[in-house]
Amino acid sequence: MPHRVIISVCLLLALMACGLGGCASSPARYRPPWTGNPIADGLHAVTNAPAKDRVLWQMITAKSALFQKKYDLAKNLLDDALLSIENRYGKDKEARKSRKLFQDESDKFFLGEPYERVMAYYYRGILYWMEGQPDNARACFRSAQLQDSDSENNDYRNDYVLMDYLDGLASLKLRASADSNYMRATNVARIAIPPPYQPADNVLVFADYGKGPTKYASGAYGEQLRFKEGRSSALEIKITSGNALLHLGPYDDLSFQANTRGGRVMDHVLANQAVFKSTTDAAGDVALMSGMVLAHGRNTQEVGLGLVAAGLVSKMFSAAATPDADTRDWDNLPQYLTFGTLSLPPGNHVMTLEYLDDSGSVIPSLTRTENIQVNPAPKDTVLYFSDTKD
Amino acid sequence: MMTRISFQTAAVLVLLVFISGCASGVRNPSGVPVTEMQADERGFVAGTGIESQDLVSVTDKMARSLVNTPEITDFPGTPRIALDPVINNTRFPIQQDIFLTRIRTLLNSRTRGKMRFLARERMDALRNERDMKRSGEFTSTSDPNIQEFKGADFFLTGKLDGQTTRTSAGTSDYVLYSFQLIDARTSEIIWEDFSELKKQGLEDASYR
Repeated sequence: MPHRVIISVCLLLALMACGLGGCASSPARYRPPWTGNPIADGLHAVTNAPAKDRVLWQMITAKSALFQKKYDLAKNLLDDALLSIENRYGKDKEARKSRKLFQDESDKFFLGEPYERVMAYYYRGILYWMEGQPDNARACFRSAQLQDSDSENNDYRNDYVLMDYLDGLASLKLRASADSNYMRATNVARIAIPPPYQPADNVLVFADYGKGPTKYASGAYGEQLRFKEGRSSALEIKITSGNALLHLGPYDDLSFQANTRGGRVMDHVLANQAVFKSTTDAAGDVALMSGMVLAHGRNTQEVGLGLVAAGLVSKMFSAAATPDADTRDWDNLPQYLTFGTLSLPPGNHVMTLEYLDDSGSVIPSLTRTENIQVNPAPKDTVLYFSDTKD
Repeated sequence: MMTRISFQTAAVLVLLVFISGCASGVRNPSGVPVTEMQADERGFVAGTGIESQDLVSVTDKMARSLVNTPEITDFPGTPRIALDPVINNTRFPIQQDIFLTRIRTLLNSRTRGKMRFLARERMDALRNERDMKRSGEFTSTSDPNIQEFKGADFFLTGKLDGQTTRTSAGTSDYVLYSFQLIDARTSEIIWEDFSELKKQGLEDASYR
């Protein structure tokens, strides 16, 4: 009889533990139906994915739209995403809930890590410049740099070379001074120092290449957010148009930027949750083991049963705690960002892009030709190239 | 008998736990109904950037200040004013015409002809109309060959400057809105006024 009672209590609590544990786990991450068209899939996701993931899909789809030269679509998506990013101040019920013990971090609205927010502003800045609004482009580059201002280590704050460099070039185009911008850009340069400004150049070439960083969860319970380095087979881009030649090397590396952000407040929250999960799990094990032993004794049966129950409750709480780091990421970002300028007469031109590997050899599969139209003065012609197709 | 009852109770309890557990899962957000607000009202969706209430307060102040400028009130005849786009030197993208458009409409609606604004952004359509009249394709009530497009006596323009501080806790944005009326003949700044706003925002710890 006592054995049957023990078994029924254990069964009951174990099932409750399973139930609680099951409810604590988040629903599977939304995946759009894959049609092979990244824009169609992305737009489907923007509409149908959970609201908390909307900004993520807007960012991913905007990048695809940029690659396909659907600039109006990219503009609309980025504007909407940036509105969410800019208005993130104040109380946020979902964000507050995501810090709770039994809630996933990924339950909060996705606004991206700083390097992702930087890229949203950066791309919007390019689009503003394309529209002939260098001052709004400059505003975006400034906001982009600002997103990188809360790195744990001072050395890595506001250290995007291109954001300062482009801020300065836009200022020069608007007949303002750019000395301090150029100085800051060269001071933070780690890969290459950008050339002095050529404000008379009328063709601005923005390019990015390689596969950017990806997020993964590390630690015993996946509570640590980590970034896997991106990769790029190309190290340099050679651009020719008639007699004009432009060599573009990387100025900013997104993997470096992702990895130098340092600790987040959320890391401490998740670390505490991991400690809770591990402690309650261990305590549950001890209580269960001891309880089972004691429950067999005629005089200690009640104490044993109590311990078994306490152990199961402890295991239940352990199972329900979700310290998993949020690994949703903008997965079509590039590894390297680069920029250069050319002077070309107004009219139609053919431009050839060759991507060179680290030995300086052309990677034939990436070579391509673009037909461009250079605007008459004073409007600059802004070009954007990427080797990321998805 | 006891065993059967205890198993039945256990089964019922487990069922209850599952049902209650599933009920406390993800809830569909009920959303916020559309709320109509005044343009000068601070909404429940707010950032540290340039918002409609700033636009309204700044342009109201500028229009009041500009209309009382002696160079305007004492101008012989009606002064003609052209708008030169505002320069954005902040970190916030703006719609560049919106400040001057609001100042112009305020002045046009409230001063009733005390000053005239020139529709320079419509020049392509205006030239086209004039050319059609000159070619005889369109009728004209006056001689289309006479040059009647007015030159500007003044330029109304402005500049937005910003200063941002950001720490791990949040962001503070200061924006200085300055507007000028420039004499087109002498390049003198005959009127200038400013407005300044500072906003701070604290991010939820989950995003820091």
